[in-house]
Amino acid sequence: MSAARGDRAAGLGDAPLSTGQSAMEPVLAIRDFSVVYRTKGGDVRAVDQVNLDLHAGEVVGLVGESGSGKSTLAYGACRLLRAPALITSGSVRYQGRRMATPAEIMQLRPDQLKHLRWREIAIVFQSAMNALNPILSVRDQLLDVIHAHLRISREEAREKAASLLDLVGIPRSRLRSYPHELSGGMRQRVMIAMALATDPEVVIMDEPTTALDVVVQRDILAQIVELKERLNFAILFITHDLSLLLELADRIAVMYAGQLLEIGTGSEIQHEPAHPYTKGLLNSFPSLRGPRRELTGIPGSPPDLRQPPPGCPFLPRCAYGTDDCTHVDMSLARVATSPDPEHVTACPFVLPETPIRSAPAARPATTGHPTDTSALVASAAADGEPSHEELTP
Amino acid sequence: MSIADSGDQSVSLDIASAAAGRGPLAMEAISISKDFRLSRSQTLHAVREVSFGLYRGAVVALVGESGSGKSTVARLLAGQEPLTAGSIMLDGAPIDISTHGAFRRYKSAVQLVFQDPFSSLNPVHTVGYHLERPLRLHQASEKGRLERTGRPGKKEITALLKQVRLTPAEQFLPKYPYELSGGQRQRVSFARALAARPSVLLADEPVSMLDVSIRLEMLGLLDDLRRDFQLALLYITHDIASARYFADEVLVMYAGQIVERGPAEQLTQHPAHPYTQLLVASAPDPDNLGSTLRAGAKRDARAPEGANLAATGCPFSPRCPFADDRCREESPALRRVSPTRAAACWRLEIAAPEVLAGTPSLPDHGGVGT
Repeated sequence: MSAARGDRAAGLGDAPLSTGQSAMEPVLAIRDFSVVYRTKGGDVRAVDQVNLDLHAGEVVGLVGESGSGKSTLAYGACRLLRAPALITSGSVRYQGRRMATPAEIMQLRPDQLKHLRWREIAIVFQSAMNALNPILSVRDQLLDVIHAHLRISREEAREKAASLLDLVGIPRSRLRSYPHELSGGMRQRVMIAMALATDPEVVIMDEPTTALDVVVQRDILAQIVELKERLNFAILFITHDLSLLLELADRIAVMYAGQLLEIGTGSEIQHEPAHPYTKGLLNSFPSLRGPRRELTGIPGSPPDLRQPPPGCPFLPRCAYGTDDCTHVDMSLARVATSPDPEHVTACPFVLPETPIRSAPAARPATTGHPTDTSALVASAAADGEPSHEELTP
Repeated sequence: MSIADSGDQSVSLDIASAAAGRGPLAMEAISISKDFRLSRSQTLHAVREVSFGLYRGAVVALVGESGSGKSTVARLLAGQEPLTAGSIMLDGAPIDISTHGAFRRYKSAVQLVFQDPFSSLNPVHTVGYHLERPLRLHQASEKGRLERTGRPGKKEITALLKQVRLTPAEQFLPKYPYELSGGQRQRVSFARALAARPSVLLADEPVSMLDVSIRLEMLGLLDDLRRDFQLALLYITHDIASARYFADEVLVMYAGQIVERGPAEQLTQHPAHPYTQLLVASAPDPDNLGSTLRAGAKRDARAPEGANLAATGCPFSPRCPFADDRCREESPALRRVSPTRAAACWRLEIAAPEVLAGTPSLPDHGGVGT
């Protein structure tokens, strides 16, 4: 299956945008996508030359810390960003089953865009309490979506609204409820039901379970997997919790400081991480099962994207960094040691077993903006505090 | 195996705390309860007869879902809510917060760190001000009077910032919260709590608002502070995996009650109570890629969440796969299953026979250091 996926992110900038292999073509192909935020202090390079593919029925996990640009990438791809955000380059091609020809989202007219959004690409937002209208009942919100995007009669729409609640396992009696009467998990289910109202082919889920309890989170994830298998939509799942993606996602894209650093399957990311940042993320969450590992985390903080450091953005925090890293090519290339050609990374160096430097950020950390707080922390680590912390009591 | 009578209070169970080996008892909650009256006829029992001890230099984790009452426990211990029943002892004496001065002295010993570093710092005050105030108030209360003239030196404030590894400290003093990242703000919260030189630190989800890559560093920092200041630390979390790594003893809370307690490693590796088992089973399991999630997709997702708490009997019985008639009628009390472990469940024989049969041998990977 994976061999037939055709061109994908590994192909990078030179990936042909109009190949004839329609069957296995990605449903969403993001190419050279860049977004900046215009601020008084200069442009913030939130998303920088990102290439990412989403295939039909696939779950792609996009993982990164806050401010890494993962939401900006997803919203930018749907042209949902407003000023001061500015898409500076790139193309996003959508090829749905219902569409005869691929659509270049960046060039769609507003009316075409309106048709594409929700009908083809739907979004489940993170904060269900803020995304739901507090003064409309669940039924009215569902009807709102249905009438805006589907041409069906009033009775059909009512039946559709009820069946959507069935889909996500909420009793129909809840149609009359208002958002404040629902638990957090139920609200998130309503959000999922709304996203699925128009049978979209791509569902972007932006941290859909972050605010929920583990037990509820698991139920909702199981439900998402079940619905995906039943309705066969593709999911771009945005989260900062890598452990969750290891279980859920077919492929995982690791994002840092606006750039993708690594793409691979869950198992590749877990067992053969090729980028030091991925390795750091894996060492950041305590596991409940198996032997107690020594957890190191990732010292330091992300760079100031107004003045990104030259070369690899992770260099100031990287334990393996060398001087070569300041002028490294950040495009994704195949991991030499991996048998899978789709396992790609931006780090050209094969991870050695032991870090080169034990105390990262020993070098001049971030480009020194005097008020840059991340530079402060990086130099804090340089002050001699042992940065690697051990949690074992 | 002693089985406590249902009317028996859990205090009398005499379960040795796994945290006791670390240091002397600093604070003890004895059968504390808190009711909130919702209306004339409705009362919410937010906390019911909860007992535990906090020991100097040890971490006790309180684990549970939102609404289980764990934050209320922290607020009760911090003296921010009056108790409905029970008592709290600090250093062997019942706490006294009846007067303004007594309350301030109590606050010097017991400090609270909140979950959200974005709303727990005042946006119009600088980092320096946030730390200067507790230094001034609590140092004064140590001397028995409030010194209005003496301002704490910059030296003391920068020392605090250095303790939480915000360096160079001088550069942080004039900063406002909006200029700091989430992790930096939470460090300021820690520094503010330390300013009072507390013996007990109540940390209410201190890292759950932070990024995954920063959480570990912050837990490591808390752990260092615990060791350096011999803090008795209550770590409230919904993340049982972090409790495994960070805590000496874990208390699992459900619907206002402690349903299970025991040494962190034993409890997380061999959970006895069905709710703890559910919690452990719900944690992501990267070693078992996808399979559990996909297998679990078949079951009725409505059952756990839609089910309300039982009005009578075990509060977990509507969600419990082992529940029988007795569970639905009588509420179980904590029952001792080993010298350091207890669980409140009628059906332990079926739910966790291996735990009852004797503490199962742990796989040899560290265990709980004592």
